[in-house]
Amino acid sequence: MPVKSNNGTVANRFARAGYNVIVKRNSVFLTTIFVSAFAAEMAFDTISDRVWDNINKGRQWKDISAKYTTE
Amino acid sequence: MASLATKLASASLNRTFVTLPATAAGIRTVLNRSAHFSSDDDHHGHGHHETPATPSLSALKTTSLNSNRTFITAPAGLAQQKRFNHTSARNTTDIPDFSKYKNGSGDSTNRAFSYFMVGTTGALSVVGAKTTVADFLANMSASADVLALAKVEVDLSTIPEGRNVTIKWRGKPVFIRHRTAEEIEEANSVNIAELRDPQNDAERATKPEWLVMLGVCTHLGCVPIGEAGDYGGWYCPCHGSHYDISGRIRKGPAPLNLEIPAYSFEEGNKIIIG
Repeated sequence: MPVKSNNGTVANRFARAGYNVIVKRNSVFLTTIFVSAFAAEMAFDTISDRVWDNINKGRQWKDISAKYTTE
Repeated sequence: MASLATKLASASLNRTFVTLPATAAGIRTVLNRSAHFSSDDDHHGHGHHETPATPSLSALKTTSLNSNRTFITAPAGLAQQKRFNHTSARNTTDIPDFSKYKNGSGDSTNRAFSYFMVGTTGALSVVGAKTTVADFLANMSASADVLALAKVEVDLSTIPEGRNVTIKWRGKPVFIRHRTAEEIEEANSVNIAELRDPQNDAERATKPEWLVMLGVCTHLGCVPIGEAGDYGGWYCPCHGSHYDISGRIRKGPAPLNLEIPAYSFEEGNKIIIG
């Protein structure tokens, strides 16, 4: 029974291209990992800070300092 | 029955193999060795067909069966069970159809997905490791209240010329002297070569009119007294060390000049020590 091959689909060609660009050389792979780790940490920190500030809106010093300081 | 016994006898003599028929009578023939002579066991015979010349089975067993090595294969069973699990209905050399188990995404997608998971795991591990190390370093470094005390700001405009001011910085006294022009000249006129700890005055005071020193005697850590001693500078009362107007050791047991802390002049005639 012939098995249908899916090696020519768009997703598969995309996956092969990504493999060839990123994974094939270990140096590139590791660099990608570290860069994405940096980016992921920055994104996580930014988003969680924003969520925190949104939840505590009006209660933090930076929100009310204008009422108490004259500069 | 009689013919069977004859056959067995001749087989034993001629050393041939006999496969007994799978009938109850045949089994009985072998198992009941004296079947021919027990009339109540043999309902067919009734003695009519028995020939006295035929040797009984027991006789066969004791004599000819043993010596002539005749083998008798007993039937396996009365009815042979047919075995269905290995039949010719399915050809066993055919490769089964595994297409139901294959995923349809293709080879490269699987490979890329595996490496993507590996890389993601690595990236998250890097983030975790970095955060752990950063937390430990932040825990070990000085806290905000300690850092706030680490620097002292002094307004120099309140210090008149020719006066000493002692301030506390990191638990130690700091001497600030607003030197006069004569004192600066006196500090520069000293022959550096004959000093115990040779340093010229420019090394010790970035602005010559402001001398900033740690007020701790380099001998055993007493606090020297200002405007005292043989050289018009500082005098340590503990063991008699004399420092000149630039804070350099001139006489007494102290080995080094008074220490200069890190300081910087800021705008508005201010100095920040630390």
